[in-house]
Amino acid sequence: MTEGSGDVEARYLYAIATAGEKQNLGNIGVEENAVYTIPFKKIAAVVHSCEPRPYETRDRALAEGWILEHSYVIDQATKLFGTVIPFSFDVIVQGGDSAIKGWLCRNYDHLAGELRRVEGRAEYSVEIYYDYDQLAEGAMRGNQELRELASRIEQEPKGKAYMLKRNLDQKLKGLVASEARKKADEALSEIRSLADEMKVEAKRSQPPEKYREKRLLGSYSCLVRNERANRLGEVLEEINALTGFAVRFTGPWAPFSFVKLGDAA
Amino acid sequence: MTINLDEANLKDGLLGLVVALVEIVQELLERQALRRMESGSLSDAEVERLGEALSELQESLEKIKLDNGIEDSVTNLRDSLDQIAQDLVDKFLDPEEWAKEAGS
Repeated sequence: MTEGSGDVEARYLYAIATAGEKQNLGNIGVEENAVYTIPFKKIAAVVHSCEPRPYETRDRALAEGWILEHSYVIDQATKLFGTVIPFSFDVIVQGGDSAIKGWLCRNYDHLAGELRRVEGRAEYSVEIYYDYDQLAEGAMRGNQELRELASRIEQEPKGKAYMLKRNLDQKLKGLVASEARKKADEALSEIRSLADEMKVEAKRSQPPEKYREKRLLGSYSCLVRNERANRLGEVLEEINALTGFAVRFTGPWAPFSFVKLGDAA
Repeated sequence: MTINLDEANLKDGLLGLVVALVEIVQELLERQALRRMESGSLSDAEVERLGEALSELQESLEKIKLDNGIEDSVTNLRDSLDQIAQDLVDKFLDPEEWAKEAGS
């Protein structure tokens, strides 16, 4: 979205909020820029004034700093105005305040509608992990046939022992997979009942250090009403407390995964 | 659809790919052997011979991986292949994906 080419000024966009009056948020922006709102009717863009070129660097620490500053502004805007429509890092619109106002005006109905849709809600991320070895141990304990198979392995000659071991591994794998799937389905139906909207995220190959030894069962983004967030936390804590399972529950975040900018973008 | 081999060391990348493929073939063979063993169509002597051959193949693969320091690259490669297979299955099962493909 470029406006008024030939204009040397531009605005860096952090979020769209429910706010009817112009307000200064202080020098909290990326590179300590002064952040303020450009209102139109009942909504406002949270911006800082900048030059019309993207923030780019090869310095990783600097880039991370910028992204933290960007997120901080979104957090502060959320505290001040309630749930906002967040923008990702480095969205810059050419033109001055009037260009932004014009954009808000053209997309007013859509943006105001999206703000109402996410009002009083926040995004949470849920990742459910399982520990294969612990679940396999549990499966062995509860299964007479597998225990007998395991004890036979020790008595057989090398070749047959190898085949029996593979047989045992395959059976265990099946049992662990069905146990993990069962638990994931239970968790999903609980999460679904508490979240207004839910998205299944692509599985990440690199879990955080704490979960490195575990396997990711599922990763979900949820849009949850503020008053239900505690209950969701309790439900997930119950799963986390089960032997062989771990849940990583983070948030509240601005609803990045749920707002639809549609044509406004 | 790209598979990231270790570009800094093509030899290891290629060896890793070969080992990963042999592992997959070995698993298929094992599955077939187990099915036949469970259905009772193999004699004890045949089970023993098959088991020994597969066990030796397994040991050789482990040794090659260890000697060449390619355990991680084989694991990563197999994860990538699993992911590709998973994505394909998901795509086949999800009508929304067909629509996206058709629209692109």
